[in-house]
Amino acid sequence: MTQATPTQTTITIDGQVVPFLPGDTIMRAAEKAALDGTIPRFCYHPGLPVAGTCRMCTVEVEKAPKLMTSCSTPCADGMVVHTQSDKVKKSREGVMEFLLANHPLDCPVCDQAGECSLQNYNYEYGPRTSEFHEEKRTWTKSTTKKLSEKLTLNMNRCIHCERCVRFTDEVTKTHELTMVNRGWKKELVSAEDLGVVSEYQGNIADICPVGAITFNDFRFQKRVWFLKPRPSICDGCSKGCAVWADEEKDIIYRYRARRNDDVNGHWICDSGRVSFQTYGNPARIVEPLIRVNQGLVATNWETLAPAFVKDLSKASKVLLVMGTDATNEEMNEIQTLKNLVKGTFDVRYFNGVDGVKTSGDDRPMDDVLRRLDKTPNTRGAEALGLKPLEEGGSYDLAIYFRGGRAALASKRAAKEYGWGVFTREEAERFDGVLPGLATTEKSGTFRNSAGHDQKFVAAVKAKGSAASVTRILEGLFLVARREVELGVQ
Amino acid sequence: MSNLFLTTKEQIADTHTLDVYRSKLQGYKGLEKALTMAKEAVVEEVKKSNLRGRGGAGFPTGMKWSFMPKDPKHPDGTLKPKYLVCNADEGEPGTFKDRLLLNRYPHMLIEGMVVAAHGIGASRGWIYVRGEFCKEIEILQKALDEAYKSGYLGKNIMGKGFDFELSIYRGAGAYICGEETALLNSLEGKRGEPRLKPPFPAMVGAFGMPTCVNNVETFCAVVGIIRDGAEGFAKVGTERSGGTRLFCVSGHVEKPGVYELPLNISLSDLIAHCGGVKDGKKLKAVIPGGASAPMLTADEIDVAMDFDSLMKAGTMSGSGGVIVMDETVCIVEAAARLLKFYEHESCGQCSQCREGSHWLARLFHRLESGEGETKDLDTIARLCSNMAGQTICAFADAVTGPALSSLKKFRKEFEAHITQGCCPLKRPGQKSPHFLEHHNHVTL
Repeated sequence: MTQATPTQTTITIDGQVVPFLPGDTIMRAAEKAALDGTIPRFCYHPGLPVAGTCRMCTVEVEKAPKLMTSCSTPCADGMVVHTQSDKVKKSREGVMEFLLANHPLDCPVCDQAGECSLQNYNYEYGPRTSEFHEEKRTWTKSTTKKLSEKLTLNMNRCIHCERCVRFTDEVTKTHELTMVNRGWKKELVSAEDLGVVSEYQGNIADICPVGAITFNDFRFQKRVWFLKPRPSICDGCSKGCAVWADEEKDIIYRYRARRNDDVNGHWICDSGRVSFQTYGNPARIVEPLIRVNQGLVATNWETLAPAFVKDLSKASKVLLVMGTDATNEEMNEIQTLKNLVKGTFDVRYFNGVDGVKTSGDDRPMDDVLRRLDKTPNTRGAEALGLKPLEEGGSYDLAIYFRGGRAALASKRAAKEYGWGVFTREEAERFDGVLPGLATTEKSGTFRNSAGHDQKFVAAVKAKGSAASVTRILEGLFLVARREVELGVQ
Repeated sequence: MSNLFLTTKEQIADTHTLDVYRSKLQGYKGLEKALTMAKEAVVEEVKKSNLRGRGGAGFPTGMKWSFMPKDPKHPDGTLKPKYLVCNADEGEPGTFKDRLLLNRYPHMLIEGMVVAAHGIGASRGWIYVRGEFCKEIEILQKALDEAYKSGYLGKNIMGKGFDFELSIYRGAGAYICGEETALLNSLEGKRGEPRLKPPFPAMVGAFGMPTCVNNVETFCAVVGIIRDGAEGFAKVGTERSGGTRLFCVSGHVEKPGVYELPLNISLSDLIAHCGGVKDGKKLKAVIPGGASAPMLTADEIDVAMDFDSLMKAGTMSGSGGVIVMDETVCIVEAAARLLKFYEHESCGQCSQCREGSHWLARLFHRLESGEGETKDLDTIARLCSNMAGQTICAFADAVTGPALSSLKKFRKEFEAHITQGCCPLKRPGQKSPHFLEHHNHVTL
């Protein structure tokens, strides 16, 4: 925890002295001191404006007549806060009892189970039994209602924290969601029933503390307690949002936003959220391919490597097209291929998605996160001094290195090799494919649009025979050395 | 001098017109005087009068006005406008005094508002009128038009160089919009839900500007205070709450209606003033300050009707709505009906209030239909203790008013419902008419 210096203003939370800055609420001060685990909350979310309506985060402040909501009460120097007093515990139990009164007992079939605030808090703060003997409130028309192609609403589970409403009002400013009616009949609807349209809908499912709003892509795909969250970086655009890649047995089931206040705050966009799917696509090539009699056939590294080395040494003009989705490390390393080339060796970077050539073409697509450059590392390629690929130029051999996000440049040479992540369809034009790692399978660094070098580590193991640039280069140099030793020309 | 500040002893016709208001009720004399006074002097005079807000909370009006910042500034250094709002969203069950004022003395309200605007330095005002008051809105609009025409509103009021614009804003039927911050949200076109405080409206009110919100009766009382001086007003009533107030007496009395009486009148005198309990029946219970005020039993009516005395008696003066219930009333049914109202009117922001008002309404309904159990009574007490004082606004406290007081003071009646399996005061099989459509599915 942070230590207070004598000049700082402080409050005391459960006996611990915690510094605060002007304007900080009790919740913020507790968060900064990593004490926020002691304060449960439903409507409060650090990325959204304060509502103060769930009343779960109330704490006892000495000399205050009532319990205060820690999310909205500003700190004052010398304030003494108790988060675990009997009064507070009774209030929390009351809130839990009220919220659970009409909440369905459908945890076994609810997708949120396992990561549900209501469920978790009930173990910690809730009453053990319910005195609610009335019929539960149900919303007949929105028990399972489509809010959009991406979101499903189950109004019966809603606890009316209105995080979703505030998200569409304050983050995307698209104002699609609103509450209608009053009191116990208060219902979440999309404005004029037009549905949710923003490109950030997945966040709504992320921030929904219960199973009321779920993201269709993940809905019913996996019970969350099987998943292990791996920190990663989304490679879907030049923003470089931090994500959690939730995997089980090296299969990624979803991305969730990972908080990074310097880059993406608490959010990620929807296309980024599902971008991991490209790498699990069955059409992705994960075995070496080689062209035999007009046809591209699966082979192994032992066959492909000598053929590739031979082609490299024979060619007098070689072009390496570096996809702007390669990591800084890969871009550096792969240039050592030059040592296997006897002729000229030209290295160019290529982005090519939606007409983007250089980072100069990149710009924000909206006020939230999305950027026009749909590859993660254009800035990195430029920082390494690489030049963009220009039209024309004739080469004997072209190697297209790519992580799966950059576009494929048009044909430049008689003989072409693909290296990295391709689908079967994309690979058809090549004479050989060296299957490489996808972003989720490798470790490295991307330089994002703001110039941050962001390191990340592999979230899952490589698929099939796909191998890292280091491994493949090792193999290629081994083959070349052996052939020199054997006198093969 | 008579002890009437708002109404007249003899009925005068057409007091809603400017002519009659000026000729017979010294109309706009208070404003004339106020405009010659310094701003601070106006606020000081109201402070001296011990006038306390007539909307329900009983907050000292002069003090509320003095909370308004002197020269509020935007971040760029320009002056912020200050706003004045009249809360005419009279919705508290058992209250109908503002309606009478709007009907008979709309000019008194306008005059009071201009005086207040001068006192706090407001440039713009709204009268937020309950949407159902169709006739009153018509009358008020005519009065506003007259006032504009005669120079009591608009630019350079009464030639004294003071500008104040005033217009009507119609509510849309939500009880909660009588809560001042919910009212401000509604005024801004948002959902009528109370705001988190602080900031208070005096700092961040309507459209983000410093705003003062007062009740219709409060503004009307200001007129006499300024015109005739605060002493006369302060002399009536008690030391801490001056003047008279309009009591709305309804229920089982011989002559129900609105009565202007000094604040220190006792509840028993008030009932006697209204002709006593109807048909000579025995008194059972009284709600002394609108539906949210805890009930008093027949033994507890020797209490003065001012804010402090009622508070001491465990209830509140509230909006001045006095509901008298005689021995024929089933208290369980009365409480159940009130809770149904609160269930319907909770805005639904705060967990305790949204779920609690619904739950309590269900419990009372079940008890009233004779299907309750003894443990339900404990549940009611527990739910109320988990609701009161725990939410953004005072609505949850209001819900517990009738729920807890009826249970505490008439527990025997609840127990009789449980043991007899029906209401002991009704014929066998006779059901309360209020609960015919009772369902738990929201199919809107």
